[in-house]
Amino acid sequence: MNINGIEINKMTDTVWEIPKHGSMKVPGKIYLSEKMVKNSLTNDEAIKQVVNVAHLPGIQKFSLAMPDIHWGYGFPIGGVAATDFNDGVISPGGVGYDINCGVRLARTSLEYNYIKDKIQNLTNSVFRNIPTGVGSSGAIKKLSPKEIKKILITGSGWAIENGFGTSEDLTLTEECGKLADAEPEFVSERAIERGLDQAGTLGSGNHFLEIDVVEEVYDEVIADVFELFKNQIVIQIHTGSRGLGYQICDDYLKILLEAEKKFDFKLPDKQLACAPLNSKEGKAYLSAMKCAANFAWNNRQIIMHLTKNSLQNELKISDTELGFKLVYDVSHNIAKIEEHKIDGILKKVCVHRKGATRAFPPNSKFIPEKYRNVGQPVLIPGDMGRYSYVAVGTERAMDETFGSSCHGAGRLQSRTQALKSSKGKDLFAELRKNGIVIQAKGMKTIAEEMPNAYKDVSDVVDTMHFSGISKKVAKLRPLGVIKG
Amino acid sequence: MPYKLIDHTADIAVEVTGNSISSLFIAASEAWRDTILEFENTLMESSKKFIFNSVSMEGLLVDFLSELNFQLYTKKWCFISCKNLLFQKTELNIQLDAEVFGQCFNSINHKIKEEIKAVTFHQMKIEEINGLFMTKIIFDV
Repeated sequence: MNINGIEINKMTDTVWEIPKHGSMKVPGKIYLSEKMVKNSLTNDEAIKQVVNVAHLPGIQKFSLAMPDIHWGYGFPIGGVAATDFNDGVISPGGVGYDINCGVRLARTSLEYNYIKDKIQNLTNSVFRNIPTGVGSSGAIKKLSPKEIKKILITGSGWAIENGFGTSEDLTLTEECGKLADAEPEFVSERAIERGLDQAGTLGSGNHFLEIDVVEEVYDEVIADVFELFKNQIVIQIHTGSRGLGYQICDDYLKILLEAEKKFDFKLPDKQLACAPLNSKEGKAYLSAMKCAANFAWNNRQIIMHLTKNSLQNELKISDTELGFKLVYDVSHNIAKIEEHKIDGILKKVCVHRKGATRAFPPNSKFIPEKYRNVGQPVLIPGDMGRYSYVAVGTERAMDETFGSSCHGAGRLQSRTQALKSSKGKDLFAELRKNGIVIQAKGMKTIAEEMPNAYKDVSDVVDTMHFSGISKKVAKLRPLGVIKG
Repeated sequence: MPYKLIDHTADIAVEVTGNSISSLFIAASEAWRDTILEFENTLMESSKKFIFNSVSMEGLLVDFLSELNFQLYTKKWCFISCKNLLFQKTELNIQLDAEVFGQCFNSINHKIKEEIKAVTFHQMKIEEINGLFMTKIIFDV
């Protein structure tokens, strides 16, 4: 099949390969069901970006794309690439502007019947207490640059030290909420300034906070380990490193573009600007990126704690009755140094996950002890009108995708198209009809984020499930949605 | 309008034109402003001066628009217009001296429509065709 001038071959029902051509260093590999190919690859430049990524120096095995693939910068969203630690590169375009954008899932002991008449009040209460929208600020007092630097080093640990959660939360966060060797000296003053009043804020765009109900459980045994059950009320939080992370990406793209001549890489897209991992510039970006990742984990930790307080104040129930606990927190925009088998040999690589979730298998020493017998929870949010999924990582993911799976539904329509097709519709009423309450700063966001603007996340999750990359555990349905 | 919106799956893309580099930059700043802001132009304006240096025109354009972003989100100052843009070649770079006019943000007179996370280099290429300068700009939102 030829898509936008690029040859693509069907390998299995869910795997497509772009043969190595031109100066590609490796082939491309895209996970998609046949019915998704047209919607996902023909409308934009995402497939070309899979080819572009295959040009990165030191790239291993494949330039990969998950089924939520869509057009990004440098890398497509849903792109995964591992580069050799010793002679490969790191690229901010493989991480994205919103460094450590990710998802956090918290469980409660509440059942749907108990809160079904209280959804509106609960949603309002959370909306009042979590700053949302463009440039949102003020969840906690404005911090000094010194405090921000502490967050950049300690990640979620800062929140715990300051009373926003418990130490158990750390063990249930990817990397325990802190990447080591994050050095604030590599972060610009401008980035720090952008973060001063943004700790504990949700932001805008596709970021959200949801009160969900577990609608279906696919694997009772694993759901039990994740402490999930049918009709249970859970909370999903989707946000990242806010302005601080965007600024770090901006700063380093500029630095790396200026260093282009020095490294003399011949890359097909400016947004793939990169530096050798062992260069001064590469090390500086990695360290600054870790700082932003730590800021993001701390951000989601504070938001989760404020959400717990809001629920508890509204429902006037005890800690035990609420049973609020973190299930897991995963990043889906990050570059991490990991070890993976390449041609049968364990090799240190830098795995770029740009709109892709880590999906480590049972027995991995990098996942919480609590989940070690079953594998890592993989959190896959959908759109605000349908559903989200909890899946689990597999050994197959380690073999094929550097331990990665999809991260969400993936956009189908542009914002302009979504705005056009929402004209004349009462989106609030449509969602209400489906039992969903929504609170948002602006109508425009609601229109841009309307369910039809996204692929059906079930198609995305099923592709990963049938490929054996991540297995479905539970389906969540939104009840109360907060958007920026 | 010296710019038009182009369809983009996830973000916002515009194509800007100008009969000089200076007017191209002004068009780009207007596209940025209209994407991000609704405002009532009744407030006293203040001006700010910035100097940018880059090895390329594209780099200058990204720096210029990124500064407007920073001013809005961090300094709470909304860019409204610019008049005097001076470009000069230095030994290693191109330099832009810009004087821009704006207003202190307040939620009564200003409404932020969209958060622009960043101004990207993706598909940006400033070209001159028959005396008309043009480029695409994609805003990450």
